[in-house]
Amino acid sequence: MARHQNRIGPGVEAALERIRGRTAQMRPSVRRLSAFANVHACPTAAVAFAARVDTNRVFTGTSLEMPFGQSPFAIGRGVAFEALLRRHGHAELRRALSDGLGVDFSAAGVENLREAYPPNRTGLNLRVSVTKSRLIEIVTNPAELIVLDGAVLRADIGGLPAWFEADEMAIGVEGKVLVGENKSWPVVDGRPTDEDALGSALDQAATYVLLGRRTLDDAGADPDLVAGDAVLITPRNTGLTPVLHRQSVESRVRRIERLLQAAPQVGDIADGVPASVTFDRVADTSLPEQERMDAFDEVVDRLGRRYEPASCLSSCGFAWACRQCAFAAGDPSMVGGVVAQSLPGIATLDRVAELASGAPPSSSEAPAAEPLARAARLFDEAVPVAAPRRRSA
Amino acid sequence: MTTALDAVLASRVYHEGRAIRRTTLRHAHLADAPLGIVMWRLGGERFRAAAVAWGPLGGDFQLAVAGEPRNRDLYFAALAPFARNLCAAVRRAAEAKVARRRGRHTDVLPADAMQIVVPNRTSVAAIGLLGRYLGYLSDRAGVVPDPALIEAGRHLRFYARQARVPGQALLVPLDRLVSEHWATLLSPFEQANLAVLDAQIEPPPGIHGFDAATLAEVSARIGPEPTEDIDRVTTDLLQRFNENRDGSTDPAVIERLLGPLQDHYARLVEPVWALMGRVVERERRLPAAPSVVRRFEGDREAFGHHVEWVVDGGRYRTTDTPRQAAMTLRRLEDALARYKAEKAIEDPACMVPYLLDGDAIRGMVASVNDQHRVVVRVNAVLRPLLALDTDEPVTLPAGKKLWWIATADDKPWEVIAIQPRGSGSRVVLQLCAAPRPDRLPSAGERITLSTLHTAADGYRLALPNDPPWTHRPVEPPPAPEAIDAGDADAPTPAVDAAAVPDPEVYR
Repeated sequence: MARHQNRIGPGVEAALERIRGRTAQMRPSVRRLSAFANVHACPTAAVAFAARVDTNRVFTGTSLEMPFGQSPFAIGRGVAFEALLRRHGHAELRRALSDGLGVDFSAAGVENLREAYPPNRTGLNLRVSVTKSRLIEIVTNPAELIVLDGAVLRADIGGLPAWFEADEMAIGVEGKVLVGENKSWPVVDGRPTDEDALGSALDQAATYVLLGRRTLDDAGADPDLVAGDAVLITPRNTGLTPVLHRQSVESRVRRIERLLQAAPQVGDIADGVPASVTFDRVADTSLPEQERMDAFDEVVDRLGRRYEPASCLSSCGFAWACRQCAFAAGDPSMVGGVVAQSLPGIATLDRVAELASGAPPSSSEAPAAEPLARAARLFDEAVPVAAPRRRSA
Repeated sequence: MTTALDAVLASRVYHEGRAIRRTTLRHAHLADAPLGIVMWRLGGERFRAAAVAWGPLGGDFQLAVAGEPRNRDLYFAALAPFARNLCAAVRRAAEAKVARRRGRHTDVLPADAMQIVVPNRTSVAAIGLLGRYLGYLSDRAGVVPDPALIEAGRHLRFYARQARVPGQALLVPLDRLVSEHWATLLSPFEQANLAVLDAQIEPPPGIHGFDAATLAEVSARIGPEPTEDIDRVTTDLLQRFNENRDGSTDPAVIERLLGPLQDHYARLVEPVWALMGRVVERERRLPAAPSVVRRFEGDREAFGHHVEWVVDGGRYRTTDTPRQAAMTLRRLEDALARYKAEKAIEDPACMVPYLLDGDAIRGMVASVNDQHRVVVRVNAVLRPLLALDTDEPVTLPAGKKLWWIATADDKPWEVIAIQPRGSGSRVVLQLCAAPRPDRLPSAGERITLSTLHTAADGYRLALPNDPPWTHRPVEPPPAPEAIDAGDADAPTPAVDAAAVPDPEVYR
């Protein structure tokens, strides 16, 4: 298996460090990975991801800093829910697992890997090997019930190692390994109170399923011993009492597998990105906002951009800056991908307006121009009194 | 081809610096003084409205602030006035009834229904969850919860469910109302922010709508889910409130301590309240489309059924049976098709996408032959022919059925033949019914025909009580149950993002 590549060279490290400059370094997590999945078609986002730039903090202190924060009450609720699951020897976790899976977990061994190892890279690597040996130990002897709280799985993303921390890996149910994820939003009448949050929780679980399978595969064990059903533990109704849900994540596993394969290789990025490209000045809080914005424009000019409001605004800290650039350039992408895709060969909204009012199209514009002119004619026929044109020439 | 129209409108918005109307009519009923509701939750707490503001839109609002919304006693005490007001208003609205005749059948329905207006679709979901919680409360230590809370909960849940019906106007989320009626530079994702929409429609003088919208995005707070900065303030205020009350839920004590939290939420509600009033006022200026009355009649009917059911102590299922789910889905799909059809038929601006897509044709009536006969089974019957000269070339298969928009609730015309003529086409159509003066346009008239129609496709039977489906759940859905177990647990302490290694884990 060529998944785990050899160490990257010092030249690559130096190049990534140069790109990153003084920006905060992002620790790849399953959430960062799925956020990147939404914007992976954008060259600038790809370089930023490969260089581990924390896009959410590059524009700190400017009007382009996007509010990704959370209410302290929301965080407190999450912390309390996790603590509730662990309290009294994981009593609540055992109960939720027993009720939800129909297997008695009251005597299962629960190993808390979070507490046993230091919260640094050495600790993570130790947890990786413990997770791996436990997984193998137990799939060969499936009679024993074991739960790993805070199992850590390692993956190489684009040539750099990343560690993923799974909330639970429950082992021994139907002879298989089940991956679990805890979320503090409630489920009512069997339905999540937040559909988007459910989607990302299942994506996270799918990543652990994939990495668990790879771990077994690398060790020569049957990867299918990791079940394709993920377990989600959430509070039930208005209280915090945990309840378990099972849902198949196989299709998500396949999607994430493709995504990991397609992640930009840091080696290629280091070789291919011009030496002048760096986010250093963009993140320099001592510079005036306009200078930082100009520095960002320079980077984007070199690398290219793919702005798509729906995915960028929810996933990338550059989105407000890109939207600003799109507006300045009159780029139709700011209205949404569907509209932009219907305009092949037409770069700006000004040109759309010209073609709509009957300007002769060039040969590359011709296919999109005809419907525009028709749409404009029909709309003006329907709404004869047009609003006064403010900036018209 | 709707995208071509979207692109043209976006280019004009870009050029003019402000949003433009994409309809010539208003396609939603707006009451004279709808009940406005603005809600702020505590972060992450889906069932805890930290503040509820309500009142006739355009007037003043009342504000209910619980202080500690995670304390059941305080929460319910604070919500009680809102619940009582809501129940009274709903019952009052349902009192006056009018008879309605449909064919030989006469029924009674409320003369009016109480309309609720909220800033956005997330508020609709929040109202639904609050309604689910309050609508089915269990007794606690032998104490029966305030019946007004339970009734109000069922009203709120009904409103949130009715809001799924396309074209309804019982519960109007203003972000949807505005984005349906205006073309902006905002992507669908951004159209969920009412302040941003409003800024793009009426930017301050000399400022482009785009810039006004980005400023509004940074500064405006709409709710119901609070942002980090709001709840940082709430955290401090709430901590002081809880320390000072020292476990007390005595109304006299609470009232004395509530001031700072009330002021905090009043400051948050005021701009949203003003924004909602402004938006509704602006939309009201547009004349209502004719079918708005019919759709609101459907809302009144649903409202009447609901009030009768709930006042008599009726309960609703909280999980649909498969049969219910299938029937509801069909009802929603029918409502959507009808809403789209009515919009396009009544509003020429909404017909444009259909003309662009070739689902509608427009042209001059060249001739009408009302003496044309065809043999149907045995007899030759009158089936008028119409020749239409269109401005643009038409490609439609023979046999395609089109409805003249003036008779969209009647019989269609069938395409017989199409020939090129000048820059357009000559389309020959045959009416699928006998001629009647109101069914025939006159020569020289400019008319539009489309695939859209508003008559029912046929009489739809309800599903049998036990549909013969092969795939069914093993167990029937549970009866409606209270979901309040654990709602009196001690509140979880707030935790600052800086105090945890990775706050993203809790998202």
